[in-house]
This record gives sequence, structure tokens and C-alpha cells, in this order.
Amino acid sequence: MSTKSRLLTAMPTRRDLLYRAGMGLGSVALKALLASQEAQAADGVLAPKPPHHATKAKRCIFLLMEGGPSHIDTFDPKPKLSSLHMTKFQKERNKFEANMNTGERYFVRSPFEFRRAGQMGIEINSLFEKFAGVVDDVCFYRGLRAESVNHPTALYHLNTGTQFGGDPAVGSWVSYGLGTFNQNLPSFVVLPDLAYPQGGAANWSAGFLPAHYQGTPLRPAGSPVLDMAPPPGTSMEQQKADLAYLSELNKLHHQRHPEHSELLARMESYELAFRMQAEMPGVVDLSKESAATLSMYGIGGPDKDADAFGRRCLLARKLITSGVRFVQVMASGWDSHDYIEKAHGARIRAVDQGIAGLLKDLKRMGLLDETLVVWAGEFGRSPDNGIRQGGQAWGRDHNATAMPIWLAGGGVHAGRIVGATDEVGLASAETVHPIKDFHVTLLHLLGLDDSKLRYLHAGREKQLSQTGGQVIRELFA
Amino acid sequence: MNILALMMLMVPPLAAEESVFRSIIQPVLQKDCEGCHGPAQALSKLDLSSREGLLRGGQRGPALVPGKAEASLLYRAIAADGDLKMPPGGTSNRLPPETVAAFKRWIEAGAVWDQTAKLDVWGNYKQVDLWAFRPLKKIFAHLSVDGFINAKLAEKKLSPAPAAERRLLIRRATLDLTGLPPSPAEVEAFAADRSKEAYAKLIDRLLASRGYGERWGRHWLDVVRYADTGGYSNDFERPNAWRYRDYVIRAFQNDKPYDQFIREQVAGDELYPGNGEALIATGFLRAGPWEHTGMSVEAVTRQMFLDDVTHSVSATFLGLTAGCARCHDHKFDPIPTKDYYRMQAIFATTEFVRPSAPFLPGEHTHNFDAGRANLKAKLDRTKQQMDEFDRTALERTMKQHGVTRTEDLPAGVAEKAKRSKAALNGSEMEEFKLFQKHMQLYRESMDRFEPKAFAVSSGPLDGATDGGPNLKYPLRSAYQAQDVAILPGGNLQSPGEKVTPGLFHLVHRYSGYGEPEIPTTVGNRRAVLAQWMAHPDNPLTARVMVNRIWQYHFGKGIATDSNNFGKMGRKPSHPELLDWLAAKFIQQGWSVKALHREIMLSAAYQRSSAALDPKQVERIDPTNDLLSYFPPHRVESEVIRDSILAVAGELSPDAGGPGTFPQINKDVAKQPQHRMGSLAPVYRPSALKRERNRRSIYSFQQRSLVDPMIEVFNGASMDFSCERRETSVVPTQAFSLLNGQFVQDMALAAAARIEREATTAESRISRAFSLAFGRAPTGPELTLSLRHYEQSKAHHKGHPAPARVPPQPVVHMITSELTGEQHRFVQQEDPATFEENLHPSQVGPGTRALAGILLALFNSNEFVYVY
Repeated sequence: MSTKSRLLTAMPTRRDLLYRAGMGLGSVALKALLASQEAQAADGVLAPKPPHHATKAKRCIFLLMEGGPSHIDTFDPKPKLSSLHMTKFQKERNKFEANMNTGERYFVRSPFEFRRAGQMGIEINSLFEKFAGVVDDVCFYRGLRAESVNHPTALYHLNTGTQFGGDPAVGSWVSYGLGTFNQNLPSFVVLPDLAYPQGGAANWSAGFLPAHYQGTPLRPAGSPVLDMAPPPGTSMEQQKADLAYLSELNKLHHQRHPEHSELLARMESYELAFRMQAEMPGVVDLSKESAATLSMYGIGGPDKDADAFGRRCLLARKLITSGVRFVQVMASGWDSHDYIEKAHGARIRAVDQGIAGLLKDLKRMGLLDETLVVWAGEFGRSPDNGIRQGGQAWGRDHNATAMPIWLAGGGVHAGRIVGATDEVGLASAETVHPIKDFHVTLLHLLGLDDSKLRYLHAGREKQLSQTGGQVIRELFA
Repeated sequence: MNILALMMLMVPPLAAEESVFRSIIQPVLQKDCEGCHGPAQALSKLDLSSREGLLRGGQRGPALVPGKAEASLLYRAIAADGDLKMPPGGTSNRLPPETVAAFKRWIEAGAVWDQTAKLDVWGNYKQVDLWAFRPLKKIFAHLSVDGFINAKLAEKKLSPAPAAERRLLIRRATLDLTGLPPSPAEVEAFAADRSKEAYAKLIDRLLASRGYGERWGRHWLDVVRYADTGGYSNDFERPNAWRYRDYVIRAFQNDKPYDQFIREQVAGDELYPGNGEALIATGFLRAGPWEHTGMSVEAVTRQMFLDDVTHSVSATFLGLTAGCARCHDHKFDPIPTKDYYRMQAIFATTEFVRPSAPFLPGEHTHNFDAGRANLKAKLDRTKQQMDEFDRTALERTMKQHGVTRTEDLPAGVAEKAKRSKAALNGSEMEEFKLFQKHMQLYRESMDRFEPKAFAVSSGPLDGATDGGPNLKYPLRSAYQAQDVAILPGGNLQSPGEKVTPGLFHLVHRYSGYGEPEIPTTVGNRRAVLAQWMAHPDNPLTARVMVNRIWQYHFGKGIATDSNNFGKMGRKPSHPELLDWLAAKFIQQGWSVKALHREIMLSAAYQRSSAALDPKQVERIDPTNDLLSYFPPHRVESEVIRDSILAVAGELSPDAGGPGTFPQINKDVAKQPQHRMGSLAPVYRPSALKRERNRRSIYSFQQRSLVDPMIEVFNGASMDFSCERRETSVVPTQAFSLLNGQFVQDMALAAAARIEREATTAESRISRAFSLAFGRAPTGPELTLSLRHYEQSKAHHKGHPAPARVPPQPVVHMITSELTGEQHRFVQQEDPATFEENLHPSQVGPGTRALAGILLALFNSNEFVYVY
């Protein structure tokens, strides 16, 4: 990294100006700008690195539906359940059931209407009104299986490849493998919902990878990055003076320890911080977006949840167009053990327009091809329920053997359904793969080979899939 | 034709194939395949340990068709010719082409199987990779640290740096042994003391100071992943875990012999029944994250503990990363899967308990009354609010029944109304659930003040289960030891061969040190393990600990990977020195303090951090493994925080007892935190400064909510053993130190302190440098500082500080998992009156300007690096 001080001038770099200028341009110009940005990014630990193989997808937006969305009530309808509704489900009992899944159990039908969508004709929950318009860009996958039915362990598994917290998150691995485009912004950004997910920040930890690859959560209100803004009462002018003084002290100190190169890196980090401080507010500011853009994402509508989720989706798009490599957007509240009609209904209304807006916007800008979008929860839901609170309040419990997930853009096969679950949705039955294969596939789509993307830690060459996995080729053309 | 080719011609073909089998085929089958497809595991019902097994094949049919490689699934899999590709793990795990070709030839020649060939799993390792398992050397070429270090330097013709300047030396030693900077008076006294014994006396003083136990206890807590909560969904408090933390601090402070330290932590309950100290020590075994809820599977939860404890004991005391052997024979070290599960079986009878254990002399209970009262106030208030909902539910039910008195309700209706809360609306119900969750958490916290131990026992103690409501222990009399079996691929659902408890055989194998039988009874399994580890003849124990101590002094161990002394760990730079120190450590009664003296009194430790000839060093020893100069390194996050508090004069003298709550970033404090089904109470820093400004080791360690300032400076993971702190440099560190409210507040407090201690601008700046750096400012630094001070003062004159913002109520939203609706709550205030920090609006422009100087010093490289 350059050690030339840019701090005292606080002038935006040429790249900064390019971004800002780029916002209003058409998609071709924007792509060219992003490419030039990639070419000129500084060296350093997060500098862009060539992928292991040529690929379309350059970046990823991961929409994480926390709580375990039901495949049966979203994209994988099971009409059979209507005829079985409220009949007893004779389940094999064994010691691998959680308490939640024991006791008398009954099949329950989906309370939702389904309708065919797109050229592809997939049947989806008809509450997905806007999303129905973009399904032809989407590849639905019904063969994936998780391993845990416990939220935090399943979330860790989906986000980090192991059920224990503390391993590097997918976004950290991708940043480690590919670096990032914009050295003034974090490589891996997380946009959490109101509350952090179960298991907390370990869901986006860099684990044993160096801290540069850590996910940075952007806060929905206040300072987007912790302590990024000077405290109230400190003017930028005064802070610049403080920083200049600090810089002089460090220079004098470095003269006494000229051989110690870490000192330079630390001085540079203050300059980088200052550049991030200058650039980030512009990226997170949605107030300058056009009314058309805002409404495309469902921002400003009467549904507060839809507004908040739409904002996170638009922010995700702005972050990736500003050169962030990996953005994870969280939407919580999918854990509908009871009242699934109300609970899932509200969730679907909350995410419908944000998702559709995101896919449309990316397509409009010509970026969908090179942006991988993933939508998934930590597991699916059961076709049966213990029927708490009488017959009207039914929902579904956790299910690791079937789950909904879809991918779009980034070279995946648009308008296709891959794999299948059994007739009641209890378990995946065709093109069945474990989570690690999904991870290997995600890396593959981004140009990374899981078996080459390794890091030596505690005497073991660690990799996202732990022990290797298989690319799910059916998912991409 | 050479001799070899001639011989090849002469031997009969059968024999040649046998030799290929012995030299290539069988080793590959045993090393790369049988982990999953062997007699113990046989995934896909395939067993590759015999020719019959290959012919019989597995779920996909026969694996071998003799004479036809292309038709043999075994060949097609290793050639990755088709959808089945083996060994798994992607292309980099595949067998080399020449091996694949050898398989092809072998199959085509009839797949001859030599029944007599039996690979010795123990004979497969290179001597150089087994160094740590060999007995300690007994005869040494040198008899001091410097003897070994200087010999290598001389060998490489490297000139050592001269001794460090005295002010730097006392700063280095003080930060090293206490984690705090020396006071200006201590620096001056040492600089002035030219006596020969001055330095040795300094080390003795530091080793005796209270800061020593707090500093070195923290290192141990890194290794054991200490936390005050259990992690996962509820992240429940472990209200008595602090007694283990204080035990560790006491152990270092009192120089508890390390062998005793091991025995107590691994088997204190078994070896020293009735001894409270030893019982508390067993908290080590359950320090990892753990939770069992209605949504987790009991057998899985138990297995996660067993894997965790096997791994943690191996890494902590033996420097072995055994986890790889969970699924397959260890690929690099001589740890067969069977040995891993035999080791695990030692813990099969280890159960969680929370028995009563009276407080010991030396345990800190002084602040209990205030702590209890504060919690009680929260509990009572929460209870009141819950009662309110009971009343509402009851009143509405009465209305529905058209009555005005509870007595007029039909029998049982009142109770049911209160219990079911059916009369509450969705929002009220969510709020009720919130209070319910808070009650549960507060009730658990009340146990902080009870004389109980966070401990284990062999078999349950009647009535003392400690696993939450979802775990049921049988009575002790009905308890049976859980069977442990090899789990093929780590998969709990298809157990393989059952094993009896046992030790890692590699130790006996390569060192000759005895391998005692582990009893199969419920009790005393761990006792044997502990005695076996805490023994002078165990080649790993002393080496591993000595290396850790060395690492904390120099920033890097003699062997760099202090949790991995196996093949994949980097080899020691000075193996003989490591052995000599280990032998000395044992000889001096496993005294850690004696070891500190041995290391710190060496010239190697006292050298300047500037290489004598940097160019020479760059060429010969660029990573400074040979220690021709003292390696400068960044201090840990806790040291940064504690040093800031010390300079500000705000560091609390209080020690021990339940964790306290430091001032952390406000956004993080207010961040809603999920607790299964609801939200936790808001993080509140301790109301009193003397509570919240304690040394960081006393901070409540919550797995799901880490002080971001500690975290950003590479704090230790609470999930995995942290063998060594990373020192990455990231811009968010700058934000935290420059803009963080804590650092800002402390800079102001330091300025106010310095104004009381010195009168002129110049003397104040000088005092600031002495406090922060242990030295006076240089001429240019003073000029620079005075200029910045005057400029800032002028600026602040024109820009008065904004008034203090009174605390705002914290509003949280939660999305109901029942209905998907959002509900809004105002979180409770802390009942205690908050003792505020000094605020800029309370001081003049001069103090604020001086605070700016302090802020820069806290951010400077000199403050965060040790030289």
C-alpha cells in the first residue's frame, strides 16, 4: 500500500470521484467503471486476486432468511398435505429427535394459495406478487439438506460451514480468495435485521482468517460503521488537526525504529479509516435515490417491514456497485411454529418487493450476470406439527432434510427447478446434496475452487467445506 | 541393462505384483481409504481392508473386477472417471497420477493381495515430525538461555543487539508481567538504580505484584476459551464461572506448581474430594460453548461436548490437535481414530454439576451486597410487570364472564386465565414473553452470589444437575457409564466399534513413557489421565507449557504453533533450548515464576529491539527466529484498554468476583440481542466507575456480545482455544481508538488528572508523555505538542462543548415468531444511579485541548507497541 500520506489533504481519490460520477450513468459505463476500479485497486491484503477459474460471477448478495422459512409454504407446494390435513403422522421415533419434535404429530396443509409464475411455470405462494414477475431469472433448488434443527448451529453451518461458532463465514472465505474492488470499503458487509441472528456476530466472523476478511455489519441507524463518525462536538477540522499531530508523533517515533515496518502499516490504516469515513456516508445515503428506484424496492410503502427490507436490498445493490465483494442481507422472523398463515404471510409480504426490486435493478444495470444472488434460510420446515393451541393455530417445526433455496444471476441456470422433495415435503429426494456442496458450488460460481481455497490453521489446512464437497452442476448452465 | 532391470526380469510376475501391492496399493488403501471404508466404519457398506471386501463392494456394487481396471469402481473412483471421485475433498485431495496408474496395472495384473502384508501405522512417520513425542533430552551443551541462543547466533555469524535502554526495559518487563505500563516514578527509580541487582529486583517486584496474576491468568483464559456465558440461542449466564477465572489468577499469583494446576483442572473432583479449590478448577472441562434446548438433540449436544473436551484437553496440555482424528485416522500425526475415541471415552462419565462449595479465603465477595441488591431490584420490577399482565388477563376474563369478583368465576377459571394469558393481545403477549425471559435470566444471575461451583463430577450428583430443564440425569445409584464407539466420519447416527477408555498411544510408543490402564468404572478415569499428563516423563506436558511461557515473553514460541506440536506445527527454532527449559521447569518444581526469571534475566530478553545490523539480519534471519534483537510487538486489546485506564488514573483497584460490565460502544450496547423466542435486557455498563473501570480480565465475558474495542484489536475467541493473539491492522481499530466514547472519556479524565498533578502547559505535556510512554518528550515532540495544544485550545474557545445528552429510553422492536407482527418495547432502565464520566461541557478549553494530546498519545504507535 502506498505510504504517501493522503490524510492531510483529505482529498477524495480519483477512484472516489469515479464512483460518485458513476452513479448516474448507464449500465455500460458503470460496468466499465467497475472494471477499471478492479484494475487499479491498490495492492495490499484485500487487493483483487484472480479467481481460480474463469467465471461470470464477480460478487455475491446473500439474502439470509433467518428462522427457517418453510419450503412447503413458499416455492415447493405439497397438495398431498391437503388430503392428509390433521391426520396423524406416524414418525419413526429415535434418539435423534429434539424435544420439540416429540409427542403426537399431525400433518398440516398449507394455508396459502399458490399460483403459476413466469414462463417456467413454477407454482409459488401467491403472496409473492412482485417476485412472481422475476422467477424466470431464478433457479430454484429443492434438493438441499441441512444437518441441524437447532437455529444457532444451523445458522453457523450455513454461514460458516461448521455447526460450531467461530469458523470463517462464507463472505470471509470469498474475500480471502478474491480480495475486493474498493480498498476504501470493507470487502464483506452484513446488513442485519433489527436484532442480530441467533449465534450473534459469529455468523460473520473471519474466524481464523486475518481480521481484514471479517464481515462488517452496517447499522440501520446512526453511524453505519461503529465509531466511524467523530463524537458530537468534535468538528472535522479539529479531528484533522488531531490526526496531523498524531501523524507527526508517529513519524518521529518511526525515525527511532526505522526497521519496524508494521508501524507504517498502522499509520496507513489511519489514512484508510479517514478515507472510509469520507466515502461510506455517500454509499449508505438513500436520500438521493430517485422515487422510481425507491418504489421499485418497496421503500416508502405502508408496510414498515417491507420498507426496512427494501432499504437493505437497495443498500446491498449500492454497496456492490461501490466495489464491495460480498453482501449478506438478513431478514428474520421465519420461525413459524404457530399461526403460519399470519407469520409466514407477513414475512413474505415483507421481502417480496425488495427481492424483486433487487433482481430487476441488477438486470437493468446489466449486473445480474456478474452478481450471484442467493436466497436461503438455515433449514426448512416440517410437513407436520404438534398442534399447539388447538386446530386453528398450526404452524410447522424445524426440518433439516428439506429446505427452500434459490439462486439467481452469476451464471446460474435461470428459470429452472433443480431437485425435488418427497410428496409431503419431509425430505429432499432428487439431486440431494448437503450444505457443503452448496458452499462448494457458491465458491465455484465465484471462480473459486474450495479445495484450493485453504488456510493453514492449528496444523490443518482448513477449507469452507471442511473435507471437500461436490459442485452441484445442475444449478448452472 | 542395469542390475535393477535385470532383477525385475528375473523375479516372477506374481512376486512383482505383490511388491507393488505392499509398496503402493496397500499403504494407499490404509491411509487414504480405510478411514471411511474400513472394518470400523465401512461407509456405503464398503470395506477396503481385504480383497473379499473389495470384491463384495458396497452400495454401488463390487469395487473390484480383477483384470479389468475400467470396470472396477475402485479404479474409476480414484481416476475421477465418472460421478464418483475419491478420495473426497476436491482435486487437491486426489491421488497422484502415478499412483492411479499403479492401481490400474495392479488390477489388470489380477489384483494380487499379499495376505502377509500388514502396514505398521506407527512406522509411517518421519523422525523429524516426532520430535515432541521423544523423551526430553537429559544432557545439554549449554546451561543457560543465552548459551543456546548465542551459540546459534555465532553459528550464523549474527551479532546480537546491545542491551535495551533502561526506560524501555522497565516498560517492556512491566507490560509483559503485569499488562500495565510502569508509573513514571517506577521508571525513574529504575533508571536511577545502577546497582547490579536492580533488574533482578525489578523482576521479583513485578512477579509479586497483583498485576502479575491478572496478566498471566488472562493468557491461560485465552487457551481455555473462558467465558461467563454458554453461547448459542440463549447464551445463558454461567453464574459461578467467575470462580474458575479467579482460581486461574490465584494459581499464577501464588505460583501453583504447574503439575498441580493440571491435576486440579482435569480431575480436581476425583483426586481431591472435598477440596473446594480443586472442584472449582474443573470448570476448565466445561469452558467451551454449550447449550441444550428443546430444539436440540440430546445425543448430539452430548457428543458436541465430548468432542470439545477431547480436543481442548489435547490441545491445552499436550499440544496435539486431535480433532482431525474424529472422522478418520489423523493424516499427519500418529493418532488413529480409535485412539481419539479412547481418549474421548475418558470423559464419557464426566457430567455437569453445580454443587455447593463454600467461598474460600482469598475469594472476592466484598461487593456482593450491592450486586445482589441491584439484581433483586431488576427481578422485583420485572415480577411486578408480569403480575400486571396476570391482573389484566384476570380482569378481562372476569369481564367476559360478567363478574366483578374473582370468587365469582367458575372453579379453575382464574388460574387458567393467569396461566394461559389467552386474554392478552399479541403485543401484550410478546411483552409478557420478554419479561418472562428476563426473569429467567435474572434468576440465573442471582446465583453469581451463591457459594456454588461451575464444575463436573464423574456420574451425576443427585439433585445437582446443571444442564437446564431439558436434560434429566438419573439418580447416581442408577447411573451407567455411556458407551463410546468410533463414529465413522464423525457421524453419530452410525456408530462403529465400541472402545474402552485409553490414552494416546503415540506417547508411549515414541517416548517409552508408561501407558497406564484407564479404569472402565464411572470414577477415576480422569484421575489417571491427569496423573499421566502431570508427570515429568510425559514428553509433551512440560515442553508445551514452557513454549507457551516463552511465546508470551517474545511474541512467538520456540515452536511457533503452541497448540500443535505434531507434524503440521512448525518445528522449534531451538529444540535443545526448549528441552533444557522443560527439564529446568520440572526440576524447579514446575514453578512458572522460576521459569519467568530464567527467561527474563537472560541477555536475549534484555536486548534492544533494534537490530545491530539490519541488513545482515534481513539476509540471515529475516523473521528473527534466532533473536539477535528483541522482537517488538503490539500489545493485546486488554492491555490497550487497561493502560488507557491506568494513564487516566481511572483504573479500579477492585479485583475478583462476578464479572463487571465495562463501558462499551453505545450502539452495540443498545443492539437488540435475541434470546430464544425473545430479547435480552439491554447491556448496561456497571453504574459505578470502580466496577466498570476494572482490569479487562474482570469484564463479564459474554459469548454473543463482545466489547467491540476488545474484539477489533484481535481479542481472543471464546469459542476456540486461542494459542496466540493475531495482530492484524485494520481501519476499524482507528475508529475505535480515535472516536470511541470510552477512549474519548478517558482522554478527558487523564487531562483532568494531569492538570491536578502539574501546572504549566509544558509540564502537563511532559507528564502526559511520562504516563503514557515512560519517558519525557523530546524537544521536537514538546514543540509539536505545545503547538497542537495551543491551536486546540483556541479552537475549543470558539466551539464550546455541547451539553451532555441525558440517557434516552431504549426502544426495541421484535418481530413475533407467532404472528409475524412487529412489537415495540421500552427496555427497562438500570435501577442503579449511574456515576457519570467527566464530560467536555464540565471543563474549560485548556482541559479539552490537553485531552486531545492524550487522545493522540493513546492512538500512537509507541503506546501500543512494546520495544
